[in-house]
Amino acid sequence: MNKLIEAVLVLMLGGALALLPARNIVRAGTGLVSQMIALALVWSVALPVLFGGPDVTGDMPWAYPMGSLHFRLDALGAFFLSWSLPMTLLGSVYAMGYMRKYFDSPRHIGVHFGLLNMISLSFILVYVGEHAVTFLLGWEIAALSAWLLVIWDYPNQKVRFAGFNYLVSTHVGLIFLVAAVMILYTNTQSWFLDDYGDWMSQNPGTVRNVVFLLLVTSFGLKSAFFPFHSWLPRAHAAAPAHVSALMSGVIHKAGLYALVHFLLISGKPDEWMGWFLIAFSVTSAVVGGLYTVGQRDLKRLLGYSSTENVGIAGIGFGVGCLGLSWDMPSLVALGFGGGLLHVLNHAFFKCQLFYAAGCVYQIKHVIDIERLGGLFKLMPVTAVCFIIGGVAISALPPFNGFASEFLIYSGLFTGESINIWAKLTLALTAAALAFVGAVSALSITRAFGVIFLGNARDNSLPEAHEASRWMLIPMVVHTIGTVVLGVAPTLGFALVAAPTALFLHLTPDAVAFDTLRSVTGTLVRIGAISAGLVAVLVVVLALVWLRARLKRQMPTRNATWGCGYGAPNARMQYTGASFSADFADRFKNIMLMLKRQKAPAGYFPRDSYVITDCVDAVERRLFAVINHGDESATDLSKKLHEDDPRLAFSAGLAAIVAIGALVLLAEGGLP
Amino acid sequence: MNTLLTLTHGVLVLALPIVLVGLVNRTKSWWAGRKGPRLLQSASDLRRLLGKRPVISTVASPLFRMSAYVVLVCGLAAASMVPMLGQFAPVQFSHDFIVVAYTLGLARIALMISAMDVGSAFEGMGAAREASFSTYAEPALFLLIGAAGAATGMTSFADLIGHLHSTPYFPVIVLPLVLALLILLQTEAARVPVDDPLTHLELTMIHEVMILDHSGPELAAMQYAAALKMTLYAGLIAALINPMNPLASPVAAILVSLGLMLLVALVVGCIESLTARLPMRWVTRYVLIGSGAALVSMVAVGLGASGL
Repeated sequence: MNKLIEAVLVLMLGGALALLPARNIVRAGTGLVSQMIALALVWSVALPVLFGGPDVTGDMPWAYPMGSLHFRLDALGAFFLSWSLPMTLLGSVYAMGYMRKYFDSPRHIGVHFGLLNMISLSFILVYVGEHAVTFLLGWEIAALSAWLLVIWDYPNQKVRFAGFNYLVSTHVGLIFLVAAVMILYTNTQSWFLDDYGDWMSQNPGTVRNVVFLLLVTSFGLKSAFFPFHSWLPRAHAAAPAHVSALMSGVIHKAGLYALVHFLLISGKPDEWMGWFLIAFSVTSAVVGGLYTVGQRDLKRLLGYSSTENVGIAGIGFGVGCLGLSWDMPSLVALGFGGGLLHVLNHAFFKCQLFYAAGCVYQIKHVIDIERLGGLFKLMPVTAVCFIIGGVAISALPPFNGFASEFLIYSGLFTGESINIWAKLTLALTAAALAFVGAVSALSITRAFGVIFLGNARDNSLPEAHEASRWMLIPMVVHTIGTVVLGVAPTLGFALVAAPTALFLHLTPDAVAFDTLRSVTGTLVRIGAISAGLVAVLVVVLALVWLRARLKRQMPTRNATWGCGYGAPNARMQYTGASFSADFADRFKNIMLMLKRQKAPAGYFPRDSYVITDCVDAVERRLFAVINHGDESATDLSKKLHEDDPRLAFSAGLAAIVAIGALVLLAEGGLP
Repeated sequence: MNTLLTLTHGVLVLALPIVLVGLVNRTKSWWAGRKGPRLLQSASDLRRLLGKRPVISTVASPLFRMSAYVVLVCGLAAASMVPMLGQFAPVQFSHDFIVVAYTLGLARIALMISAMDVGSAFEGMGAAREASFSTYAEPALFLLIGAAGAATGMTSFADLIGHLHSTPYFPVIVLPLVLALLILLQTEAARVPVDDPLTHLELTMIHEVMILDHSGPELAAMQYAAALKMTLYAGLIAALINPMNPLASPVAAILVSLGLMLLVALVVGCIESLTARLPMRWVTRYVLIGSGAALVSMVAVGLGASGL
């Protein structure tokens, strides 16, 4: 426990030192060094817990009304800590390259690195805090630091708006969380999450259901589940690449952590909670997936795919909940194991994709896929990292996304004897997941094909070349992780096994732990298949190359088939919009495509254009409602005459009645 | 016994793509009153292509050549898990159908990437169509497996397809499932009415337009992989109908399955001869019929199991 406190102090000290007047490079270095020390300290505590050690607990006396602060690091928190901190460190390394152009400018780079330290610090508070106040404190530190990181480019009005949008949304989420904590506090008179869990497990009923819904809403907002995702694409598009990567891959996993943590401590859930989680998550996965198809901005696309992927992990958690309520350890292991493994895998490939997007933006100063093209040959490392991440995010073998989705699918197609309609509903969910997989394959092919393949579409952009090493190294590290966790998913599951075992403790079945072993066996097989696929492919490619060499049939080069047209140019290539037009047209009720066009007119048409843009339906609706509410409020206030004494009198009377009613209805009366 | 079945499975997987394509073409020429190409013509075509020096677009990246072999290897990997002889597949384990579906998915993404790689105005069109039609085809396969899995209570591909004929639901759901598989075959293997392998107009092609720039051995790999996909789906239909258990009576089961697969090729050929391809905007609806049929069989299984 002391080491965790030291880590917190180191992070605060590093953040503070980064603010001192010094050269920007020194400030950034201070941030990195302090994160490294904190990482070593955290690992020395978290890894033993993760691999079978006892929980680490600690208390710290604090002033009234908090009482004693209670900390406990269990396997679940240790799992999240074990990768959140190193990934934040990698993100900070990436920032060294991404922010390099500001190092010689008057901008204070230390603030940025200090805030990255605060992100790491918030992880420790959230994943270790057993006290509602430290939990909320960590939650809030993460939200505020993320907001400040997003608005790095604050002179840009769009960026400020995106940041503000994020800030408001995340605090709306906080309101739900605080409401849930208030209900729990009134029922337990305690600040400790454990007591909340005990109360929830002993008192099933309406109040628990309300608390569950409040918590799911709040955590859903944090992790950007549909329909609480509207802030996300804006924030991701506006933030620097590493901040988007950290938000999507790491910071918003805190929402999923909190969800899983509350599920863990509140014992056996009702069956409807499992179904509710599945329905909520499937909607999120499907809609998030659909929205990735229409985007022109690569970072918005990746943002929506976060909504999709938290949905996929959520399906796993839903299956796990069903397993808990039906007392079926195999479903618990597959659901929670698969869901948590997907959280880890997603952190790997999502950061990788955002880093690749950042490399492209850094060099080309544009992230609109329609203006890019042909980057593969000029940025091969970035391109390879992007496609590996893309294949992984479409859950295709041989990379890591496949392993975790395989577990979730195995849970959905369970061989356990359950009600036939439940079984068919789960199969229907699996079909929806298959649809999501195909959709994300579509959008990733579209993005990769348009950005990296073919010819450059816009020659007015700067010449492309590979980004700086500071940016390539974190990206390559993530890529290696994606590949290794794909061919050896048991390595990932070794981290997930301990938290999954916590859930298996909740099932009364004595054979619970055999299921963990059988899940590991499944993953060994999946890893073998992925590795085998890679090996066979390498052998086949080697043989093909050798054969061509021996038969002297090395390929010759010629122009692309142009259907006989002699003067093709880069503008004639298939674009992102044309790639998705067919598909998007089928879903125009969900994906709003705004189309502005000016048709060519007259014999010598001058300027004609078509601009299509996929806008967020939820956001538009939200703004419409807000605008409408604003208007109705204005209308109402016009009808009221403020100088009318009757108004003041009736308002006062209403207030007195309300206060009186509250006093009379309150159970205990006034103290 | 298993060795024998594995060997047969391997031989069928390697040989049938050529035979089935030949049979489909033969059927079509028979309907058209032509003599038609030899049954094994595509073998000669493939050999000819293998001997050629490939010509690659100047725009293409190294991924272009690689992806042809990714498609081929993935097809073969999937073939090792697809039950073609009934209740048997050389590689068989719990939930292997997910691996089948996703290895084929990897093949698809590789195919689409190689199409986008040459910077053509047409090939992206094919890739976009392939991508959007596959989003409708993929759920159909999983619904079908869901229905079969719920009916049999099994979790491996070979078991849930092979045991289906011994369940009481079989007479009710066999037709919708075969229909769903046939539509999947036509979608995934680019046959009429979804796609026409003989079309020569870039604007109306799907699969062919994606491989416009492939030549030599890469084209051979792509064509063989497409024929292999047709074989896999034909094999699935055969395994679904085949009443023989290959583990008990191997010879009969192999012969019945083989006969059924040839029959599927005949049916595919007849459909190609007698119908025109659908307008592109109707294709999605056609593919959705597959999902609908699978959904119907799911509901039938559900109603049957709850005793209604």
